[in-house]
Amino acid sequence: MGLRGLAGGALNLAIATPLVSGVLLVIQAALLANVLGLTIEDGVPLLSVAPLIGWIAALILLRALLAVLGEQAGQAGAEAIKQSLREKLFGHLLAGRHGLHLAPASGAVSAGVVDQVEAIEPFFARYIPAMISAAFLPVAFVVVLMPIDWIVGVLFLLTAPAIPLFMALAGMGAQAATDRQASAFARLSGHFADRLRGLTTLKLLGRQKTATEEVYLASEDLRRRTNAVLRIAFLSSAILEFFAALGVAGVALYVGLTFLGLLPFHPELTLVAGLFALIMAPEVYQPLRQLAAHYHDRAAARSALVEIERHIAKIDALALASPAAAPVTRHGPAALSVRALDVVSETGASILNHLSLDLRPGEAVAIMGPSGCGKTTLARAIARIIPASGSITLDGRPLEEIAETHLRNTLVFITQKPRIFHGTIAENIAFAAPDAAESAIHAAAERALVNSFADELPNGLNTLVGEGGAGLSGGQAQRVALARLFLTDPSLVILDEPTAHLDGDTEARLLDAIFEFCSDRSLIILTHSRPTAHRADRILRLAAGELLPIPHRLHAVGENRGDNRT
Amino acid sequence: MKALFFFAPLFRARLRGFSLALLLSLITIAAGTALLGVSGWFLTATALTALGVSFNLFAPSAAVRGFSFIRILSRYFEKLIGHNTTLALLSDVRRFLFERLFPRVPLPARSLRHGDLVSRLTADVDALDTLFLLAIGPLIAALVIGAIVAAVLFAVLPVAGWIYLAALLAAAIAIPLALVIQTDRTGTALVEAAAILRTHVLDATLGHDDIVLFGQQDVVRARFTAAGNTLSRLRKRQSLATAIASGAVQTLTGFVLIAILYFGLVALETGTLDGPILAAIVFGVMGSFEATATIVRSVGKFSAAAASAARLHEIATMPPPIREAQRPVPLPKGTDIAFKSVSFAYPDGTKVLQHLDLDIASGEHVAITGISGSGKSTLLNLLLRIEDVREGAIEIAGTDIRDVALEELYTRVALLSQDSPVFLDTIRNNLLLARTDASDADLWTALRTARLEPFVRGLPSGLDTLVGETGTTLSVGQARRLCLARTVLAPAGIVVLDEPTSGLDAETEAAFLADIPGTFRGRTLLLVTHAQIPENARMRMLVLTNGQLMEPKQ
Repeated sequence: MGLRGLAGGALNLAIATPLVSGVLLVIQAALLANVLGLTIEDGVPLLSVAPLIGWIAALILLRALLAVLGEQAGQAGAEAIKQSLREKLFGHLLAGRHGLHLAPASGAVSAGVVDQVEAIEPFFARYIPAMISAAFLPVAFVVVLMPIDWIVGVLFLLTAPAIPLFMALAGMGAQAATDRQASAFARLSGHFADRLRGLTTLKLLGRQKTATEEVYLASEDLRRRTNAVLRIAFLSSAILEFFAALGVAGVALYVGLTFLGLLPFHPELTLVAGLFALIMAPEVYQPLRQLAAHYHDRAAARSALVEIERHIAKIDALALASPAAAPVTRHGPAALSVRALDVVSETGASILNHLSLDLRPGEAVAIMGPSGCGKTTLARAIARIIPASGSITLDGRPLEEIAETHLRNTLVFITQKPRIFHGTIAENIAFAAPDAAESAIHAAAERALVNSFADELPNGLNTLVGEGGAGLSGGQAQRVALARLFLTDPSLVILDEPTAHLDGDTEARLLDAIFEFCSDRSLIILTHSRPTAHRADRILRLAAGELLPIPHRLHAVGENRGDNRT
Repeated sequence: MKALFFFAPLFRARLRGFSLALLLSLITIAAGTALLGVSGWFLTATALTALGVSFNLFAPSAAVRGFSFIRILSRYFEKLIGHNTTLALLSDVRRFLFERLFPRVPLPARSLRHGDLVSRLTADVDALDTLFLLAIGPLIAALVIGAIVAAVLFAVLPVAGWIYLAALLAAAIAIPLALVIQTDRTGTALVEAAAILRTHVLDATLGHDDIVLFGQQDVVRARFTAAGNTLSRLRKRQSLATAIASGAVQTLTGFVLIAILYFGLVALETGTLDGPILAAIVFGVMGSFEATATIVRSVGKFSAAAASAARLHEIATMPPPIREAQRPVPLPKGTDIAFKSVSFAYPDGTKVLQHLDLDIASGEHVAITGISGSGKSTLLNLLLRIEDVREGAIEIAGTDIRDVALEELYTRVALLSQDSPVFLDTIRNNLLLARTDASDADLWTALRTARLEPFVRGLPSGLDTLVGETGTTLSVGQARRLCLARTVLAPAGIVVLDEPTSGLDAETEAAFLADIPGTFRGRTLLLVTHAQIPENARMRMLVLTNGQLMEPKQ
């Protein structure tokens, strides 16, 4: 899986300890067989076997310590791998450009980064050590048993190798079933997240019974798929148990019959040797059993990786993003030039069609147009968060040549549905500039009229706002996002519907603050609101993928709806 | 821990499956113990038997084979039945929680993170499975098998019986209990750390544009890394405690074996015990430890399960924001609404509405404007009992809405709220949520009203187009219009719209508003908006200021 290298030396320790422990086990079994055999058959006094008993105790203690050490090493190795994978996936999420395509379902993504990554833990912490033990220990045990009694050795040689073969056959079916189960799990997560988000709406639509039933059915679907996996997984362990039982029972019978003189192969077999063979019999199969117990982990880890790759990215292609460069200082308002810009939706429809736009340094332009006409798409293309063909230059430099850090310092774009992160209102404002002083945050909040509602909250700006901005109304969330603007120092500002959800008076005050801030910056405002558009130097209309100018005066008089319709 | 009892009734419903699994696990371990005991006895006895003397070979060899096969079969079915019962229980728990969740809607948004909630329902419910399958079942099995082995030992070698009993109690109860106490806090912290990690991922997915636009990837990544490291550290701590406890049980059982061996050998020397019986005891005891070995493994997960149960218990028992009528009266026909001296304040004491009066006749259309935060949305929420009035009353058709069954109220009043979501489903299914029996023609009419018809007609799959989780393939305005179409489709006599035209351009907005008289003919409409209402919409206009409704200034 290529991830093993991330674990460092811890995994090697986790692999080595069971092997060492296996060697010690042979000695322990030999000592136990001697104690029992010598005292019972040969009548050796207890006192003379006492040192042997002492050695058994020491070995038991040592093996317990080795087990603790190995287990912890396996866990540490797995944790290193998981954390490193999580960081890579998260880095990929941040670096990724969803473009115009359907953004991945956030429920499925978080299930991938959090839960599916956890699912690979047993593979590294337990399956790999178990696999290596299973490859070496049974063979080693048989080698030890061979000189003691070759028949017993042959018995093990015949039964043990058959086990992995049958298990592999059963495991093939298990993999397919596990894949189906993992995708059912991802669907269940996505379904949950989505329905939980709309819980209130579902309730008001009187859908609580059907929604509950749907959740139950999705869960039952997961149960059926899981059962299919388990039936095969348990079948393979039953096959293993069958061969192990065959081996143990075979040894017991063989040794017993030899003692009774009914079998001619090894008449001088002692009780010590017989007991040793019997004690070792289950141990020969134990590593294989251990492997079978963790066999499912391999299938689960593989399915988890498939799910991660489906929803996030190819694991091999993941690379940690390079750290950002130092901030760049600003040089006055920016000039923007857009030429022959084309954006095509994933269905092939043209959203922007050979669009051109020029913005002089310090100019404020309002762009209007029916909803869905591509205003936001244009802004996203200028902000370089979606790919577009054509040319966009900022202060004469092609957009694609500008370093990311420089671009983000030069251009600030407040989106239409800004994200309010989990944290306080102040933290959300400071998101734009994490080093901002408290006084600066307060000033920004004041300018964006955040104070007008925050002051009435018990904790003011320190009020916790929920993930997704729950707890704030649409207009309030918009103002928190606008406050972010006042903590930055850009050359070009793009605002998408900054005054939606606001009443006329609040809108006017907010526009005062925005235009004051942008007096020496270039500004693009996307809006449906006429009062907002009229503050701009120029108004453009976006229709059929093209920008058309609207003469300011004409627009103001001719399209004033209030006058028009009387 | 107490929270676990909350789920006891659900466990009881699946008692038969769990009992069967437990019985099978007892048979499995008993067969294993007997298999090793008989083998040890058989070997030793045959070694001590003089050559040629007749020895009953048949019985022990049949027993060895029989125990082997019983063990294999019972183990297979034990696992299958145990897992199936557990998964069925988990489905029950999920359904139970959803049933519990709905009356508690809307959930307190400021304290319950959405990511947290998702994590609670999926991961926490899954964590409960360890409870029976890995914790309770093996514990009972170990105690029962241990009691049987101890009884046998008391009969043949009393001192070994005492030692065994003490070790059993230590391995099955004392050490696991110490581990539970030790890992209790870690378990709670673990579940929380995973929830925080999940919130970071949701923030990064849903807030991706904002993070990129502000160039804050490094800050966000650092937060995520810190959260991930916390999770790793907690897991390692948990695993170490479990490994040590497991090593302790391993050592303990090993020493018990030695002790029994020692006292057995003493008894052998004094002639009170036969050699073959001693071998049987030693091997049998070795076999019986299979039962105790798994307990400690599962205990580490037990504390996580307890923490999950506590969190699930918390949401399932939150006080509902409103109280359902004890003996609901039927809501008479009629769609007239009366707000009678209604007052409302936020929990923090901020007064929003003060002795507000409003009478709306059946079929009347009313538009309410007012500055942001004046309480317009609250007014609408009160009508749907998303929150309840503090003072006064709201009546529909002359009946106090608090006396009516919520379900009936919802069928009579349809709401478009500011944050109505588009569900991850087809456009058709999103609309059908409002009215399951609507025909395609009805759907198109609703889409036409919401000014979304041409867009949907233009989609290759039309009504069957899948729309994204937060309506991602739709623009904000289109998503809004889809929600509007859904509300219009609802067969309710009263329609309540909170800013139906936000995200619409001026022309579309004006056209929608002008069509209101026709669209909502015969239905009572209460509309909150910042938009200019065209005069031909023939609506009563009111302004909400200082908690009261006024006629607009001319």
